[in-house]
Amino acid sequence: MTAKTSKNMKKYVVQIFLLIASVFFLAPFIWMVSTSLKTLDQVYTFPPEWIPSPFVWQNYVDAMDYIPFFTYLKNTVLITGFSTLGVVLTCPLVAYSIAKLNWKGRDSIFFITIAVMMIPGQVTMIPLFLLFEKLNWIGTALPLVIPAFFGVPFYIFLLRQFFLGLPNELKDAARIDGAGEFRTYWQIMLPLAKSAVLSVGLFQFMAAWTDFMGPLLYLTEPGSYTLSLGLQQFQSQKGTQWGLMMAVSTMMTLPIILLFFFLQKTFIQGITFSGIKG
Amino acid sequence: MLEKKAAPMPPATQIRAKNSKKLRDDALYGWLFASPWVIGLLVFFAVPLISSLYFSFTTYSILQPGEFVGFRNYAELMSDSVFWKSFSNTIYFVVFFVPLSIFFGVALAMLLNMNVRGMSIYRTIFFLPTLVPAVAMAVLWMWLLNPGFGLVNGMLDVIGIQGPAWLGSETWSKPSLILMSLWGIGQSVVIYLAGLNDISQDYYEAGDIDGASWFHKMKSITLPLLTPVIFFNLVMGIIGAFQQFTLPYTMTGGRGTPADSMKFYVMYLYDNGFKFFKMGYASAMAWILFIIVMALTALIFYNSKKWVHYQGE
Amino acid sequence: MKGIKKGAFLLAIFTLILSVALAGCGGNGNNSSGGDENQAAGGNAEISSNTADTGNAGGSGEKATITVWHAMTELTGEAMDAVVKAFEEKYPNIKVNSVYIAQQGEGKNEKLLAAIAGGNAPDVAYFDRFEVATWAAQGSLTDISGYAEASGVNADNFYPFAWEEANYEGKLYAMPTTTDARLVYYNKDHFKAAGLDPENPPSTIQELEEAAGKLTIKDGKRFKQIGFIPWYNQGWFYGWGWSFGGEFMDVEGNVTANDPKNVEALTWIANYAKKYNIEDIASFTDSQGTTTMDPFFTGQLSMQVSGPWTVPQAEKFNPDLNYGVFPMPTPTGDNYTTWSGGWATVMPKGSKNPEAAWEFMKFFSGEEGQEIFSKISGDFSINDRVNEKLGYKEHPIFKEFIKVLPVSHARPVMTQGSLYWNELANAVDLATRGEDPKALLDKVNENVTKALNQ
Repeated sequence: MTAKTSKNMKKYVVQIFLLIASVFFLAPFIWMVSTSLKTLDQVYTFPPEWIPSPFVWQNYVDAMDYIPFFTYLKNTVLITGFSTLGVVLTCPLVAYSIAKLNWKGRDSIFFITIAVMMIPGQVTMIPLFLLFEKLNWIGTALPLVIPAFFGVPFYIFLLRQFFLGLPNELKDAARIDGAGEFRTYWQIMLPLAKSAVLSVGLFQFMAAWTDFMGPLLYLTEPGSYTLSLGLQQFQSQKGTQWGLMMAVSTMMTLPIILLFFFLQKTFIQGITFSGIKG
Repeated sequence: MLEKKAAPMPPATQIRAKNSKKLRDDALYGWLFASPWVIGLLVFFAVPLISSLYFSFTTYSILQPGEFVGFRNYAELMSDSVFWKSFSNTIYFVVFFVPLSIFFGVALAMLLNMNVRGMSIYRTIFFLPTLVPAVAMAVLWMWLLNPGFGLVNGMLDVIGIQGPAWLGSETWSKPSLILMSLWGIGQSVVIYLAGLNDISQDYYEAGDIDGASWFHKMKSITLPLLTPVIFFNLVMGIIGAFQQFTLPYTMTGGRGTPADSMKFYVMYLYDNGFKFFKMGYASAMAWILFIIVMALTALIFYNSKKWVHYQGE
Repeated sequence: MKGIKKGAFLLAIFTLILSVALAGCGGNGNNSSGGDENQAAGGNAEISSNTADTGNAGGSGEKATITVWHAMTELTGEAMDAVVKAFEEKYPNIKVNSVYIAQQGEGKNEKLLAAIAGGNAPDVAYFDRFEVATWAAQGSLTDISGYAEASGVNADNFYPFAWEEANYEGKLYAMPTTTDARLVYYNKDHFKAAGLDPENPPSTIQELEEAAGKLTIKDGKRFKQIGFIPWYNQGWFYGWGWSFGGEFMDVEGNVTANDPKNVEALTWIANYAKKYNIEDIASFTDSQGTTTMDPFFTGQLSMQVSGPWTVPQAEKFNPDLNYGVFPMPTPTGDNYTTWSGGWATVMPKGSKNPEAAWEFMKFFSGEEGQEIFSKISGDFSINDRVNEKLGYKEHPIFKEFIKVLPVSHARPVMTQGSLYWNELANAVDLATRGEDPKALLDKVNENVTKALNQ
């Protein structure tokens, strides 16, 4: 009885704490949505107000008129979709190989994987551009998609950590049952790392969805631009159309929020998998 | 060192014996599974990286190949006061931000892993700031931290504290930036959550049977088994913090004001490469950064044997 | 430890192999760098691009297409479209492919840089005139002196500073299009409230300081109203240096940042910061990186240095604001000056169709193009006649700007323009934080000179 009340107490404390912290973490988002519904005058009032008056829903309509929203959306979806697919296909496989298979050169490859992340992208940007120029990929979406199919160091490192946490017994058992290497990976090990693979998918989705520098450098025709390039179109030398810009930003974040909301449900389901372990 | 790390629990000699026995099986599939990445490294990483290493010994300007000058860029950097200023600012940021982000990240993830009503919504909320565009974040923060009219000083006023000038103050600009950056820890929280998820319930059940307290379970089960992920976030946190760029660049219009207190390493590197057309110099900066971060990372890897535990080993 | 060594060793080998591979690539690149990847489909890149080149050069009958890159949106974007339309009507055999290129902030030009480095630049780019000398010195812009001479385009059509900025070492690299200037805006109502004559604004530094003192209302550590912050908004050091009679570069091209007059100007700024306590002023300046809450419009700031774009902004955000402008004061109250920036069109190296590109640049900067552009965008033209025609000389505020344009300065035309700019901005920042002005400017001089000599 007392144990139960103390447990409930603890839940209330956690609940209250989370509620307060939520206010802080919600602020930027609410700020963005609220700005998206303001007139330009109201954006500039000082001190700022949280609640738009009036609510200018027209901003959303205007914003979609101002830039070719659906063209950009289509391009963004395609690039994001393929690059996420590439990452999710390749990175776990590579990470599994580095974490769970024993082969000569493995540690060196891992070492190099970490090392390549230590050079700031600012100095490799131009050489990489020239490389794509040589491949004749400039003006196409290929530079934004193809490298993802060959792996991204950040995700490989992350997934390696997760695979290392999985017991070898499962792998060995599968082998004894006569499963091939690929089947062991695909049917036994990959499902166990599901929550990590989904996180990686989410991260890549976000990164590709909001990437600015990549599309800026590699896409040359306005018809192939993405939403993040469109976002810049609300900024001009004479000032920023904050309302319209935030309207597009809000629309851009909605798919990621939904994606995250459903993904984190599977994190909870993941607990059932853990039950098998040990 | 790394190969030992992969399986830290049993004595090293034993592993080595095991390894050589297995090597025959795995060499083919190991290379096969890793081959996309090996090709990726050779195609998309090797050329740009080695080019930049070469450029660091030249006066390359992006528009002109420049000439080979040996170690001159490196030597000049040693006597460049802005370089040292940006270096010390960056160290300051790394030293405070990385531990804080790990502490808050783990704490938040543990809270968000509890079985409390509305948890899905809470998780989403804590992830939200990472989705808001940097420009919007910058504008919001400038208002919140406005010394005269901002919300933060307004609240401090209520409890009788006269708040500092925050972003306008040489002393407080970096702490302000650290505070702002902590708002974006949503991504590492997701990683911790995924890690927490992988901890087998059996451990907790065993703990329950022994009558362990929540605190005790956290100390002896949750934290140790979360170490692979903490290790990841530590290494990536250091790599990322040394490359801090977008937020301070956006907030100060690239200038790093006040009094250079917000001028970070990669900001100075960027200015050199793209504004002053000294890409060779910038590349030298990049490789000095590489050596520092590499040394730190090696240290962490070496040290990790003592504190990183892999479940199921 | 052994693992590291082994890794490092392998990394070294890996590096070696790849540098050989890279050298191979570089060699190939040099051979085919003249080729035009866009037009050459397939293997015979060099042959087909050669024929394409001759085709363009001689083919007056065929319709030529030029690509123009710009970062203009909204009104300026519309103005650009109008110029293109008028040009295409006048030159039916040239088609302009005008492409918007996103720019993430001033001076961020990665895309054009990469495109030029990759040998695939547009025919024309809309470009910050300030950077012309630097890019020209890098050999990335086409010398258009020959075209200009043949078409009779010369300095007469432009304000002197604009023409100066478009030339580098005696050669023309850009065609100026727009310009601006810096004056002091002041709030007339504040002047009345402080007992100052709103029709007789300060003309000397002394008067400016006195007026600022009367206009400043402080409440504890916080300002309710600030009279003036010399370095705020467009109060860059170039403006003050010139107003104090200083120079930033002598005729031989030597850097003169530590000109005694410049030191005087910076000392004035440093004392000003001391007088009002910099950390308190910083609450206004540094926390306002964007124009979100311009304190001049909200009535928190009585005077500020700014450009002509403040006029339409004021109309939008505070139409009731009762304001005027006056030239940046000087110690003596005469010899007013200011500095101007602005835009231009340039022809990057590797333009596939230089003749057609030149026609467009000429049209844009000519009276016809200027009238169209300036009318829609609201930017000042670099041609005095166009400004007169468009009525800028009758506008109560704009006329003050137009008046000062003929004596306005361009920032020093040199290869290290950006460095000089950053160094001066830094010096001001550090001077307001208590460092010695003379020593700071000496340091600027040394750094920029060193960079120039390299």
